[in-house]
Amino acid sequence: MQRLSLPSWRTRESVLVNAAMILILIFAMLPIFTTILISFKGEKDIVRKPPNFFPCDTPDGRFDITQCRWTVEGYERVLAPKPADNSLLGFTLTGNMVRTYIPNSLTYASITSLAVVFLAGLSGYAFSRYRFRGHNFLMTGILAITGVPLLTNLLALYQMGTVLRKADLPFYNDRLFIITVYMGFFLPLSVWIAKGFFDAIPRELEEAALIDGCTPVGTLLRITMPLALPGLMAVFLLTFVNVWNEFIAGYLLISKNSLKPAMFGLYEFLGQNIINLQVIAAACILIALPMVILFLFARRSFFRAMVEGAVKG
Amino acid sequence: MEQTLKRRAGKSPRNWLPFWLILPTIVVLLAIQVYPAIYTIWLSLQKRTPQGWEYVGLDNFRRLFGMGLFDESVGHTIVFLVGYAGLTLILGFFIALLLNRNLRFSGLYITLLFIPWIIADIITGMVFRLLVVPDYGLLSGILQNPDIFPPNGLSILTAVRPPSWFGNFPFPPAPAMIYLILASSWRALPFITLLLLAAMQTVPHEIIESSRIDGANGRQIVRHIMIPLMLPTLVVALFSLTLSGMNGVGMVFSLTSGGPGTSTEVLSYLLYSIGWRQLNFGRAAALALLIAIINWLLIAGTLRVTRLQQRSE
Repeated sequence: MQRLSLPSWRTRESVLVNAAMILILIFAMLPIFTTILISFKGEKDIVRKPPNFFPCDTPDGRFDITQCRWTVEGYERVLAPKPADNSLLGFTLTGNMVRTYIPNSLTYASITSLAVVFLAGLSGYAFSRYRFRGHNFLMTGILAITGVPLLTNLLALYQMGTVLRKADLPFYNDRLFIITVYMGFFLPLSVWIAKGFFDAIPRELEEAALIDGCTPVGTLLRITMPLALPGLMAVFLLTFVNVWNEFIAGYLLISKNSLKPAMFGLYEFLGQNIINLQVIAAACILIALPMVILFLFARRSFFRAMVEGAVKG
Repeated sequence: MEQTLKRRAGKSPRNWLPFWLILPTIVVLLAIQVYPAIYTIWLSLQKRTPQGWEYVGLDNFRRLFGMGLFDESVGHTIVFLVGYAGLTLILGFFIALLLNRNLRFSGLYITLLFIPWIIADIITGMVFRLLVVPDYGLLSGILQNPDIFPPNGLSILTAVRPPSWFGNFPFPPAPAMIYLILASSWRALPFITLLLLAAMQTVPHEIIESSRIDGANGRQIVRHIMIPLMLPTLVVALFSLTLSGMNGVGMVFSLTSGGPGTSTEVLSYLLYSIGWRQLNFGRAAALALLIAIINWLLIAGTLRVTRLQQRSE
């Protein structure tokens, strides 16, 4: 009897724990669901007092699932599709968000993360494989920098940007400046994460290559880098998301309309659509969705980078 | 291998390799992190005049400390940090306890739970704002109902702070501040949960089993075994929350813009206000320096704790 009651107690407990988890998940997902809900409402249903959750009520106040007034008006306003003959789908998207801001963010995020992976790969390797004068000092210094917030450096960076713009240097433009700023901001943590990944690769493999006559640079490129690829991929993804999600630096350092990143554009939407909540909701979803999809597909990479980064601070 | 590399690094002409590998990273960090930090120190001692910058010594600090809004912002920041770190740690600990039971769907739960983490802070602010926009937000129908929240209903984005209990200290906070804490915790929770779960899984099963045999109940196990063993991680999580809370400004931007009045104006937002709205860069630099110093102290604290943890292992 004792033996039989134990598993059933265990099962009941596990049902309770699962139920608690599902409840927590519902609460965690609630803000996302409501945003999706709002984004598919029409203007008439948005400006109702008191607000109703689903735009599904009949004139006499009953809930009727067949009467739902779902629209894509919010998305239309963000994307602003216009008919065009020469386009593949028969229309082009003319909204600033898709034409300018999102491509800008894409450019900033991909160039920054490529550069960060390259630089963090090189220096992470050096820190992992060599002992040299100043090794510990530099590692601690980089860690100390990790914690200095972008915010406190922005005053100086803003002044730097103004001076650089006035100086009219060859090849210089604001794109280059903001990408360098993002690099400088996300490099320190990436160096630490990359070093951790290199530390995990056995040195014997490199030793064998060196004995067989491979140069140190050749060993790095042919043996170590391929093995470190999953780790470097994690650094790439983490930096990509960080740059995509970054707001305050882009907002303060960029003034030209054609260079604004998506988060800046989104913030402007907030001011322009005080009543049209469906437009804000649609814009939020359009900008957040790519990152959520990226995360769902590459979650192992994200967790790997996060665990490596969290241990180091 | 370490020996070989050490010898290589020490004596052969190739010992310049690690230097060249690190150089690009160091250059970027000097330009984007170190130089701006020094520039900020210089800036904090200057005042802008029509002729250019003028040295004013510690005048910026004196004037900053003399601002009524500075004292108030310190109060708001303390209230925010205590609420944010406390709420996130407690909820994170409980969710980690649930996930620690090796549920069948743990992987799925963690993945779904992590979605808020991937969403930008500025989008999170907007998503939560959409729910409580006066009159039209989905929750406003309930919150503004005088029958549920007497006497006049509750409008989160416009209700002012109740009279203070402790002189000038902004407690109890305005509804907007509580809501800001909720939104911030929502986004920080996944990361903290994962961090605590990882620490929880290192608590040896034997200890828990044997204490259970000795008659300890669940609460005693958590109180006397888990918490002491997880203490270093709990402290790291606390510091990490304090850092992100001190420096995160995106959510304040999109959720409340510091309002209503000044009731959610935290130090990071005050920095933006002084610098870019009042264009008082000297005084803003003084504040930036102050925030940076607090950050450094927190990082030094984190380092100490992780060092102690490593030593004890």
